[in-house]
Amino acid sequence: MITIIAENSGNILHPVTSQLVNAAISIGSSAHVICPGGIGAVEATKITGVNKVTSVLGDCFKIFDGSAWAEAINSSIDDDSNVIFTSATSQGRELGAIIAAKRKVPIIQDAISLDSTIKVTRTIYSGKALEEIQSSSKCVITIRPNSFDSAPQGNNAQLNTVDKSADLRISVKEAIVKASERLDVSEADIIISGGRGMGSIDNFAELESLADILGAAVGASRAVVDEWGMSHTMQVGQTGKTVTPSLYIAVGISGAIQHLAGMRSSNYIVAINKDEDAPIFNVADYGIVASWEDALPVLKEELSKL
Amino acid sequence: MNIIVLLKQVPDTTAKISISSGYMDESTITKWSMSPYDEFALESALQLRQNCNGNLIAITCGPDRCSKMLTDAAAVGTDKLIHIHHEGYLDSIQTQTLLVAAIKKFEGEVIMCGKQAADTNSGSTGPGVAELIGASCITHVSEVKYENEELIATRLNSLGFEIISTSPPSIFAFDKGVKELRRPNVRGIMMAKKKEITRLTPEDLGVSLTNSNINLISQMPPSEKAPGKKYEGTDSIREIVSKLRDEANVI
Amino acid sequence: MDYEALDFYEIDSLLSDEERMVRDMVRDWVDEEVIPNIENACREGVFPDEWRVALGEMGVLGAPLQGYGCPGLSYTAYGVICRELERGDSGLRSFASVQGSLAMYPIWDFGSEEQKNHYLPKMASGEWIGCFGLTEPDYGSNPGDMITKAEDIGDHYLLNGAKMWITNGTIAEVAVVWAKLDGEIRGFIVERNDPGFTAPEMKGKHSLKASVTSELVFQDCKIPKDRILPGVKGLRGPFSCLNNARFGISWGAIGSAQACFHSAKDYSMSRIQFDHPIASYQLVQNKLAWMLREITKAQLLAYHLGQKKDAGNWIPEHISLAKMNNVDIALEIARVARDIHGANGILDEYPVMRHMANLESVKTYEGTHDIHNLIIGRYITGIQAFTREA
Repeated sequence: MITIIAENSGNILHPVTSQLVNAAISIGSSAHVICPGGIGAVEATKITGVNKVTSVLGDCFKIFDGSAWAEAINSSIDDDSNVIFTSATSQGRELGAIIAAKRKVPIIQDAISLDSTIKVTRTIYSGKALEEIQSSSKCVITIRPNSFDSAPQGNNAQLNTVDKSADLRISVKEAIVKASERLDVSEADIIISGGRGMGSIDNFAELESLADILGAAVGASRAVVDEWGMSHTMQVGQTGKTVTPSLYIAVGISGAIQHLAGMRSSNYIVAINKDEDAPIFNVADYGIVASWEDALPVLKEELSKL
Repeated sequence: MNIIVLLKQVPDTTAKISISSGYMDESTITKWSMSPYDEFALESALQLRQNCNGNLIAITCGPDRCSKMLTDAAAVGTDKLIHIHHEGYLDSIQTQTLLVAAIKKFEGEVIMCGKQAADTNSGSTGPGVAELIGASCITHVSEVKYENEELIATRLNSLGFEIISTSPPSIFAFDKGVKELRRPNVRGIMMAKKKEITRLTPEDLGVSLTNSNINLISQMPPSEKAPGKKYEGTDSIREIVSKLRDEANVI
Repeated sequence: MDYEALDFYEIDSLLSDEERMVRDMVRDWVDEEVIPNIENACREGVFPDEWRVALGEMGVLGAPLQGYGCPGLSYTAYGVICRELERGDSGLRSFASVQGSLAMYPIWDFGSEEQKNHYLPKMASGEWIGCFGLTEPDYGSNPGDMITKAEDIGDHYLLNGAKMWITNGTIAEVAVVWAKLDGEIRGFIVERNDPGFTAPEMKGKHSLKASVTSELVFQDCKIPKDRILPGVKGLRGPFSCLNNARFGISWGAIGSAQACFHSAKDYSMSRIQFDHPIASYQLVQNKLAWMLREITKAQLLAYHLGQKKDAGNWIPEHISLAKMNNVDIALEIARVARDIHGANGILDEYPVMRHMANLESVKTYEGTHDIHNLIIGRYITGIQAFTREA
C-alpha cells in the first residue's frame, strides 16, 4: 500500500490529492491517505482506490511548518509502506523531502510518470532534458500536478483520527495577501504579447485579464511600445528583451524578424492573427487564424474551465 | 555567528544540453555557473554576515570544476571555501549526508541555499539537511534579516507572503531574492585569487557512501514537439488549450 | 541569442584565472547595463554618468597601474577589459582608455609623489574624470609642431592655445595638457576651474556619439607651478601615453568585431529569403568565414602582444602593428556585417552600423592607420617617410 500525504488548499482537499491516488492505482496499488490537520479527510474517503484515511489533528497544523508537520504525521505512516507520495507543490516538495530525510529513504522529486517497478520519469535542466530513474527500495516520490487524471469518486473508505501535534520551530508574524504585481516578461513562465493587430493600447486590457487567469506577464512588440507609448520593459524583441518562457502567446503580432529574435526560443508558441500569411505562424506550435476579438473570449472561457 | 551557504555548480542556464550514450554530455558544456537560486542565497548570506558580524562559509560538493565557483564566491566576500570533492551521481541521502557532515564540522548555525538546483530541479537538499541537523526549515524565501536575536524571513506563497520568525539553527531555501548577487570588483577578484580552498573527501568527513537504492537509468532529450499546426477560426481553441495542459504541460 | 564571444582558437583559455574573472565581471556588466541602454545613449548623444560610477566601483580604471589606489592588473587584463567594453561600444571603451592610459598614466609615470597621491586615487575610483590634451586643430598626425604654449611667469604658468578632439574634455575635472615651454613639450595638469580654461563640447558627430568629445581652450589660463609633470620632456611623454592607449585599442577593436560577427551570424541564421536562411547561401558563408579568420588572427596578435607587454620586451612598433591591423579588420568586419543585415542593418535595432561609424574614429585616432603604416615602414627600412625633409 502506498502512503499519500494529502495536499490542502486552504481548508479543503486540493484536487491533486485525487491525482496521487490515481497514480497509486495506475501502478497496481491501493492508497493510505494521511490528512495533515484533518483537512479534506472526509472527502478523501470518497476517492476510489483509497483503502483508509488517517486524519492527524494537532495545533501545529495551524500554519505550515514542514518540520513540525513531518514530525506529527510520521508515526501514522505504516512501516511496511514502501513508497510515499506527496504532490510536487511547494508544500508537498518540502514535506516530502523532510519525511524522506527523517525516514532515511531517498526522494525523487517532480515525477511526470512512473510504473509499477518504481521507474520514474522526470524533467531536468528546466525541461531541456528528461531522465528515467528507478528506486529499488523504500522512497518518497513527489508527483507533478496534472500528470495524472483524478481518480473516480464513489468510495467509502475507513477514516481514523489521531491526535498528534509537534513543536513548531517557526512562527508567522504576518501573513500578507497581495494581489500579485504583474510579472515582468523576463521572469514569467507564460507571456501573452500584443502587437499592432490589437488596434489600440486600450485593447491591451483584454490581454491583461487573460494574463491574470494564467499568472502570466504581458509583453508587446516594438511597434506598439514606440507608437502607443507603452513601457519599454514590456518590449520583447531585438532591442527589447529576449525571453524563453514555457509558453508564449502572440496576439495580433505579425512576426517580424526583430520580434522573433526575442521570443523564438520559447518552449511553446501560440499565435493568434487574422492574417493567415503572417510570418508568426512559421514559428508557432499552434496557430489560430482568427481576429483577437473572436479568439480571446473563447480562450479565456476555456482557460477558466481548467 | 557561523553562516553557511550551500552552493551548486550547474551548466549555465543558457547552455544547450546534449545527450550522448544515454547521459548528459558534460564535455559539451562550455560555461558552468553558480545555480541561480544559490546566487540569491549567497547575496542574502553576505548581507547577514555584514549585519551580525558573522563568518561566511561556502560549501559545495562536486568534481574539480567546482572550485572555480568557490573562487567566484570569494570574490564577492565569502570568508571560507569548502570543496567536498566527489565525482559522479549522488542520491538525495548521500548528498545530504555529506553536506550535514561538513555543516557540523564547521559549526553552521544559519544555513542558506537555493530552493532547487538548476540541473536536477529537485529542491530536496534544504529541507532534508534541516531535518538531519534538527534545524528549522523555511523554503521559498525572498529575504532573511537578523533583528533582536531573531531571524526574520519572508516566505513567498501563491497568495502573497508571510513574515516568519525563527531562531538558529535554521535553514533558508531561497526563491527569487529581493537582491541580485552583487558584482565582484577587481580588489575582490585579486583577493579571491589568494584564498585557499579547503578540499575534503567523504572519508575526511567520516562519511562512507553506501550503495544507493536509486539507479539513474538514462537521460534523454525532451520528446520531439509535433510540427506547428495552423487552425482556421476559433473552434480549435478548446483542443489547443487541452493539449497545452496535458501534452505540453505548460499550463 | 545570448552573447557568444567568438574564440575559435580558444585563446581565452590562455588567460589567467584572475584575467578570466575580470573578463566575466566586465562582460556581465556590459550585458546588464550597457547593451540595453547604449542605443538610447547614442540617440541622445550622452555618456551616461552611471557608467563612470560603475567602472569606478568595479575597479577597472587605470587597470595596469600599480599603487596609489590603482588596480595593479596585468596589461593582458587591461586588454581584456577594453575588449569587453568595446563589445558594448567604442565610446565606452574610449572613456576608459583616456581615463587610464592618457590621463592617469602620465601622472603615474611622470608626476611627482604629491601629484600621484593627490590625483590618482580619485581618478581610479572614477570620482575625477581625466582627459588628454595633445591634438590641436592644425596639429594631429604632427604633434611635434604644436603651438599651444606655456609661459613661466614666476609664480605660475600661463597657458595659451587650443586642443581639439579631446575625449571627456567637457566632463573632466583633470586635464593632462601638453604644451611648449620654451620650445620644449612639457606636460601640465589643468583643473576644471583654473581661470582661463574652458572645455566646450563638440557637437554634430556621426561617430562615438555616446562619448563626450571636446575642445580645450586656454586663454591666459593661469595654473600653479606645481602642476607641471616633472618626469618627462619632449614627445616621449605623450607618446608613452599613446602606446598604452593603443595597446588597449588593439584588444578593444576585437570586441567590436566580435559584436558585429555575433549579430551577423544570428541575423543570417534567422533571416529567411527564397525559403532558406541566408546563412545557407555561399556568399554569406564566405563573409562569415572571412570574419572568423580575421578575428582569430587579431586575437592572436593581441594576446601575444599582451604577453610581451607584461614581460617588458616590446617596442612601440609592436603596438602600432596590432592597433593598425585590429582596427582595420574590425572596421571591415563591421561593414560586411552591415551588408549581411541588409536594410535592417541601418536601424539601431542592430548594433552593426553604430560599431561601423565608431570604428571610423578609432581608425583615425591614436595614430591614423596610415601613420602606423609609416611607423612600421620606418622600422623596416630605417627611413622615415612621414615628411618631405631628410
